[in-house]
Amino acid sequence: MSNFYAALEIGTTRTVLAIGETETGGRLKMTCHAEIPSTGVRKSQILDINQATSSIKSVLSAIEKKQLEAGSKITLGNAYLVVSGQHIKAGPFQGMVPIEGAKVGTEELDAVFRSSRTMQIPKDREFLDIVDQDYEVDSLRGITAPRGMSGRILKLNTLQIHADKNRIDDARTAADAAKLEIREPLFAATCAAEAVLEEHEKRNGVLVLDIGGGSTGYAVYSDGHLATTGVVGVGGDHVTNDIAHAFQTTNAQAEQLKTESASAIIGTPGETRVKVPGSSPLMESRTISRRALDTVVNARLRELFAVIRETLEDQDLLNRLHAGAVLTGGGAAMRDIDALVQRELGMPTRTGKPIHVDGLDGEKNPASFAAMAGAIIYASRNDDDKSSILSGLIGRFFT
Amino acid sequence: MSDSSSMMLIGIGGGGSAIARGVRRAFGEGLRFLTIDTDAATAADGDEFLLIGGDRLSGRGSGGDVVAARLAAEDSIDSLDPEMEGVRLAVIVTSLGGGTGGGATLETVKRLDSLGIPSIVFATTPFTFEGEDRQRSARGVMAMIEEAAGATFFVPLDKLVGNAERFDDAMRRAVDTMASAVTLFWRLVEKPGYLRLDAERIRHLVAKAGRGRFAAVSSQGPERARDIGDMLTRAPLLTTGSGPVRAILCGVLAGDDLRLSEIGTISESVRSAFGNQATSFELATVNDEDTFSGRISTVLLLFEANTKDDSGESPGGVIANKRKKRVSKPLGVGPQGRGRFNNAEPTIWNNEDLDIPTFLRRGINLDI
Repeated sequence: MSNFYAALEIGTTRTVLAIGETETGGRLKMTCHAEIPSTGVRKSQILDINQATSSIKSVLSAIEKKQLEAGSKITLGNAYLVVSGQHIKAGPFQGMVPIEGAKVGTEELDAVFRSSRTMQIPKDREFLDIVDQDYEVDSLRGITAPRGMSGRILKLNTLQIHADKNRIDDARTAADAAKLEIREPLFAATCAAEAVLEEHEKRNGVLVLDIGGGSTGYAVYSDGHLATTGVVGVGGDHVTNDIAHAFQTTNAQAEQLKTESASAIIGTPGETRVKVPGSSPLMESRTISRRALDTVVNARLRELFAVIRETLEDQDLLNRLHAGAVLTGGGAAMRDIDALVQRELGMPTRTGKPIHVDGLDGEKNPASFAAMAGAIIYASRNDDDKSSILSGLIGRFFT
Repeated sequence: MSDSSSMMLIGIGGGGSAIARGVRRAFGEGLRFLTIDTDAATAADGDEFLLIGGDRLSGRGSGGDVVAARLAAEDSIDSLDPEMEGVRLAVIVTSLGGGTGGGATLETVKRLDSLGIPSIVFATTPFTFEGEDRQRSARGVMAMIEEAAGATFFVPLDKLVGNAERFDDAMRRAVDTMASAVTLFWRLVEKPGYLRLDAERIRHLVAKAGRGRFAAVSSQGPERARDIGDMLTRAPLLTTGSGPVRAILCGVLAGDDLRLSEIGTISESVRSAFGNQATSFELATVNDEDTFSGRISTVLLLFEANTKDDSGESPGGVIANKRKKRVSKPLGVGPQGRGRFNNAEPTIWNNEDLDIPTFLRRGINLDI
């Protein structure tokens, strides 16, 4: 029997629920997903729990309907929660123990692991992940396998990712009301990275930009491990808002302009005027300057990437990204955004289609499912030693 | 006095607190002072006392359990922060091997390091007869304290008290000897002399000094300077170390009758005994007729070859991002344009509200 995994994201622009399955041969596949536009969410944070609950019920219902159409009945009991938002922070923490017998052994490795898990965070924060980076023995750094090495002190460098507990609890509350239990919160940016990166890219140094509606997560890999990660509270919704303000449009009109007409680069070939359809049957359509539209989008995105660039420069990471940048999230679909990233960050850039999870070939923008695919990868690994999520699926009947 | 509030003496655990109180008694007014313990009953009159692990141990002490003491320190170490207001250098006295000193010293030093306050740790290590477990416990924590502290002086109790007959005599002598040495060190920093050494200079010297050895001796009479030289040369705490001496700090404290030739004698003795490979020699003097009339006291700190690197890391805890963000002036754009983000938590970067449209904040004209 295959194992099934579920992941939920209550994003700024959409609420998504996805089901993944381990196929024969061990490959993962996103077998089913449903999404609806989110309401009551701003900048990745829930402002109206009732509306969020309603969105979750809708995607649950849609999933069940799709499953029925596919010949099976499924009732989801729980799901992993994919989260983003600028409340998410990451910082290094070092576990450290003396090497009793002059050589690193199992005892030291266990002890330094435990030591690396002792970081205290305020009560209103919740850990999303603790990622092991590398070991140090005395002043020797960058060690991946310290067993048997001689020295006085063994250290384990980790990256500790944590979030505002209240924001996570809001999502739990909304899900509970929809009768969906949240298993664990997972960080969208690192999930996306897991889904789209090859191991050689992590070794050579790579940046993943997960451009969501309300925020942009980043994850930097260097020497094979996660070097840093974080979130900037600017996403695709900011582009939409800028367009709406500049051209006096509704958000729906601005969204349409962004996705259908705008380019991240000023001066690309194409129409010089862009049609803005009327916001109601009583309003006439009009045209705006394509160059002006691109200028608004370009200014916003250049600023976003300047923030990312400065953040990475501050941590001396920018020059270590020899494998370039990979774009995921809904924002990755903006026209010419890869060219702009390449120009602003000075590195080759590609769009990140999930490569470790199948089932997304028919999607218009598979990069927008990268975080969900990564959550399914995480769930499959996490459940390897446990009973599958089927235990949380209250009944699955083939009809 | 250079700046009495910039240096604080911290006594940790029963042994450390006893030493700290000894320093306070000897030094008198003007000593900024704190004791830290898991046992509420050990607080003495006049102590600035910080009880740690109250919830965990109910103020009854750690019972000699290093792990319990360390957990207690982890629970309560935040309470140290307000006590450190204005402190630029901490001098810690403690006793390793068991109990609160063995468990809480590391957490304290790490916390101070995270606050940017270098610490000098004077720590006794167990007598040989106390057994291998306590010795191992002390050795384990010593290495980690070394990583987080500015300078460390580990003093084996065997060497400190010599051949005392009774255990309580030995412990009393240990406390008195440590207190005397630290008091001299304190006077050296706080009482200005002709060759002055202030807290900031000490702070600079010890910021990443690493492991060291120390001794304090006194003598009087016509040959007092020569006696001082001889005693230092033979001092058991100075003659056994784990590495060559990299830097020397020598403080000479005396009354008004201190002669230049005496300073020279002591200086030469120290240089010839310990200075072969030293690249730095700091000499400071204090003239305090009231305290040292007729005698000379000398405190000598030897810093061994430094094993610390200069990476700027803050070991054993959260590594602070020490690079400063560039800050630009706000552009004076009001809340207009926040649009759908009106009720959302703002995104502020370099003093700018990034929820406001970029083209507005940049003053970009649009030819629509």
